Amino acid sequence: MTLGLKITNVSKTWNPDGPEPVPAVRNLTLDVELGEFVVLLGPSGCGKSSLLYIVAGLEDATEGSVTFDGLEVAEPSPERSLIFQEAALYPWLTVRDNITFGLKIAGQSPKKQEESAERLLRLVGLVGAGDKRPHELSGGMRQRAALARALAMEPKVLLMDEPFAALDIQTRARMQGHLLNIWESSKASVLLVTHSIEEALALADRVVVFTARPGQIKAEIPISAPRPRDMRSPEMIDLAIQCEALLAEEVEKSFKEQEQELA
Amino acid sequence: MTDKTIGAPVTQSKWNSVFKKLLTRLEPTLWVFASLSIFVGLWEFAWWWGWANPLLLPPPHIFLANLTDQFRFFDPGGTRAGALATGGSIFSVLGVIAWSSFRVTAGLVLGFTLSLAIGIGIRYFKVFGKLMLPLVTMLAPISPVAWLPVAVFIFGIGNPPAIFLVFIAIFFIMTLATLSQIDNVPAHYIQLARIMGCNKRQIYRHVILPAILPELFVTLRMNLFAAWMVVLIAEAVGVGSGLGQVTMMARNTFNASLVFFTMTLIGITGFAFDQALRYVQRKVLWWVGPSSVGGL
Repeated sequence: MTLGLKITNVSKTWNPDGPEPVPAVRNLTLDVELGEFVVLLGPSGCGKSSLLYIVAGLEDATEGSVTFDGLEVAEPSPERSLIFQEAALYPWLTVRDNITFGLKIAGQSPKKQEESAERLLRLVGLVGAGDKRPHELSGGMRQRAALARALAMEPKVLLMDEPFAALDIQTRARMQGHLLNIWESSKASVLLVTHSIEEALALADRVVVFTARPGQIKAEIPISAPRPRDMRSPEMIDLAIQCEALLAEEVEKSFKEQEQELA
Repeated sequence: MTDKTIGAPVTQSKWNSVFKKLLTRLEPTLWVFASLSIFVGLWEFAWWWGWANPLLLPPPHIFLANLTDQFRFFDPGGTRAGALATGGSIFSVLGVIAWSSFRVTAGLVLGFTLSLAIGIGIRYFKVFGKLMLPLVTMLAPISPVAWLPVAVFIFGIGNPPAIFLVFIAIFFIMTLATLSQIDNVPAHYIQLARIMGCNKRQIYRHVILPAILPELFVTLRMNLFAAWMVVLIAEAVGVGSGLGQVTMMARNTFNASLVFFTMTLIGITGFAFDQALRYVQRKVLWWVGPSSVGGL
């Protein structure tokens, strides 16, 4: 049995029987090892998010297979938790009740829920915000609450769909540091989607660069530098230039394609 | 924002702030009075100038002048057209208002709960939905007034036909509103619930229901006025008591003063109902920000 996430020859076409089927991902193979931090980097609309939804079990792959710890992924499960760009906290629940929502569904005792909530609030730096309502929090705090909600289910892999894209740059950097700390202590794998080169380089054990739609893997760049990484070191600048060149080609391609579609 | 009036005596600025607070609290009420005053003022002016015949369009100072005289026509038990009622005190007036309010409230509660249940049922059970939806959509455009004879055939005279009409007035609209609200629940809410292990029933109970309630309450409030209009028609024709019956009697006896007096009561009661629903909405649906409660 192979542990971790195995994506084998996965293709996804949206609206396959319609007049204009949209191929999102084509023939993609990718493994994420236990505890590995993998970042998917690619131009907007290249099918990265589609891949996350398939791994989460929210969408079926048109072809190919996804297995997790040797088992076929068919249904969503708390062990593969998904975090969106917007926190999507339930506005009718307090922050604490949002965090323990999954535990309550799982039938955990109120006392245990309470303990988990306090531990997680401390972990994500939201002590004292438990009784607040989501709309009273800032964007960064909301995203931390969403992270706590995902962690409450003790996921084996965190799927993150541009989780910090809606935050300002300063908050973003803080959140990235935060995420790294949590990742190191939780030993979960992370599969994070972004279009920011800097974010990819700051976080990843391995950056997977996507092509324009339909998404395929263009390059894989392992990064062994210890964290926190200095983005101004020669090594990082080299990597950034490399990524930029790879991305630029794809952005160019997708622009040309769009022009042709319009013409 | 801090108020820094440098050099101003402390006591004065304190009084200032108290006055300001009072003003901001009273402001909505003041606007209500200003709005009413314009309307009443124009009416009184029209009378004074001789445009409005006081027999047909008696201005407020006439129809509100002799209250005890008006009160005589109010009998919570109902009266035959033209006959003077046994009423005559403010309590009989309140009694009449209470009966109409009861019919509206009963109809609203029934309509709201049943439309919610049916709406959720249509989306939850596929076959039930396919069978119900065409029916609901076809019955929705039929005016409640058209249901009036049906209501009398089924329920006879009394409270039930009036309650039934209020129910009809909101049920179909609220059912369709429930459906559109369910369809507009953010996909992420449901996806997250699935990831966290919710089955279908749990998704409806813990995510969809709380997500759709606030907007449905707004829809209910908007249909409150339709409910009031319908109850008056029902009372005029099929009940024999209540504000609608008084209006009908006033019409039959050509008593313009009474017509306008009753209309005033209806307006005030409707306004109070809206305020009450708003209050309930704020208390029960605490997660809705004040901005989406809107209005006064």
